[in-house]
Amino acid sequence: MTFSDETLMAYADNELDANARAAVDAALANDPDLVRRVARQRALLSSLRAAFDPVLDEPVPERLIQAALGKPAATPSGSDPVHTAVIDLAQVRVSRQKTQPARPQRWRTWAALAATLIVGVIAGRLGTRVSPPSQVAVRDGHLVAGAVLARALSDQLARTQRADAAVKIGLSFVARSGEFCRTFTLAADHAAGLACKDDQTWRVQLLAEAAASAGSDTGAYHQAASEMPPVILESVNARIVGDPLDAEAENSARRRGWRR
Amino acid sequence: MNPEIAVVRAGIIDLLPRLRRFARAITRNPEDADDLVQIAVENALTRSTQWQPGSRLDSWMFRIMKNAWIDEVRARDRRDRVFAPEAAGEHIGVSVTDTQIDSLTVQAAMQQLSEDQRMAIGLVLIEGLSYQEAAAVLEVPIGTLTSRIARGREALQAILADDARRRK
Repeated sequence: MTFSDETLMAYADNELDANARAAVDAALANDPDLVRRVARQRALLSSLRAAFDPVLDEPVPERLIQAALGKPAATPSGSDPVHTAVIDLAQVRVSRQKTQPARPQRWRTWAALAATLIVGVIAGRLGTRVSPPSQVAVRDGHLVAGAVLARALSDQLARTQRADAAVKIGLSFVARSGEFCRTFTLAADHAAGLACKDDQTWRVQLLAEAAASAGSDTGAYHQAASEMPPVILESVNARIVGDPLDAEAENSARRRGWRR
Repeated sequence: MNPEIAVVRAGIIDLLPRLRRFARAITRNPEDADDLVQIAVENALTRSTQWQPGSRLDSWMFRIMKNAWIDEVRARDRRDRVFAPEAAGEHIGVSVTDTQIDSLTVQAAMQQLSEDQRMAIGLVLIEGLSYQEAAAVLEVPIGTLTSRIARGREALQAILADDARRRK
């Protein structure tokens, strides 16, 4: 299925209805070119926000506050204009938090939950097949890749991995933080996630239940969504700098131990 | 002061940072932006009874600002027939950091859009309004808004890509 640029813009702006959005989500799971096109739309959005958001942190000129209060800028004697301005600025700063427009929160991200809780959830799904610590572990309050997952993240290349591998690697990319990050799916656990490499370990940024695709599950969508859930793609789009690594860049990053 | 005006005033003070951000997106420099905010605030207060309590104050303020800006642009067009337009790029200094260069590049790219595209992009991509809300603020059909967003996005991407190539 092909999507027009207009559709992808609307997707990036959260303007597609549920069905159209699901169609893009499903296609994203196995179309790296589409991922790049969506990333391009998202990149423009972040550039614009980065260029203009700092205005929010600038002190508001006193003349504007005075205008809103309906007072002339030159305050008549009897009041202390400086003092008044300070109080008003403080109020503006405090109230600013409340006036930020909230982008709709469409996906339940598990990143916000306590790491231990996530381990618990995953462990529950794992049953007796694999012991949870081999996939994810908690270290210093962070969720990190366990031995099996860490080895796959460090060694496996998307192009050459076995179809029946326990851990399948999806996209590899450079994040805004400067780290290499990779998406993965854990076939046996119906889970997918995103991990980023710091000096020592692969920190698991996000884990999501891959089987639980949203809305009505019709064959192909369900299959595709179980590959990489939308929440993971959202997270990739929010972090990625430039394009996902191609096979050559992926190989070269592996040789350097995923250090930049 | 009647209670409703007090509500509007308090609401506007809360909104000032966002009004300044939107103004920065559609005007040519920070001074113009704050002038525009001030004009919009003054216009809003003279007609504060027109605001429907319970409706969105931000959309109402953006609409007043849009109207004030259109008036200003028309006035400038008349002046520009007499005076040469100001030189572009006057705000770009020499010893700025990469982040500042990027911000300035993006801001300069915004300047190359049409007024209509810039306002649409400012409301949706920068202020986070939905297409529906932005169309209402600009008082245009949603299809018109959508096409301004699409053409504005394409133009920005082309300008920024071109700029990145030249800097390499």
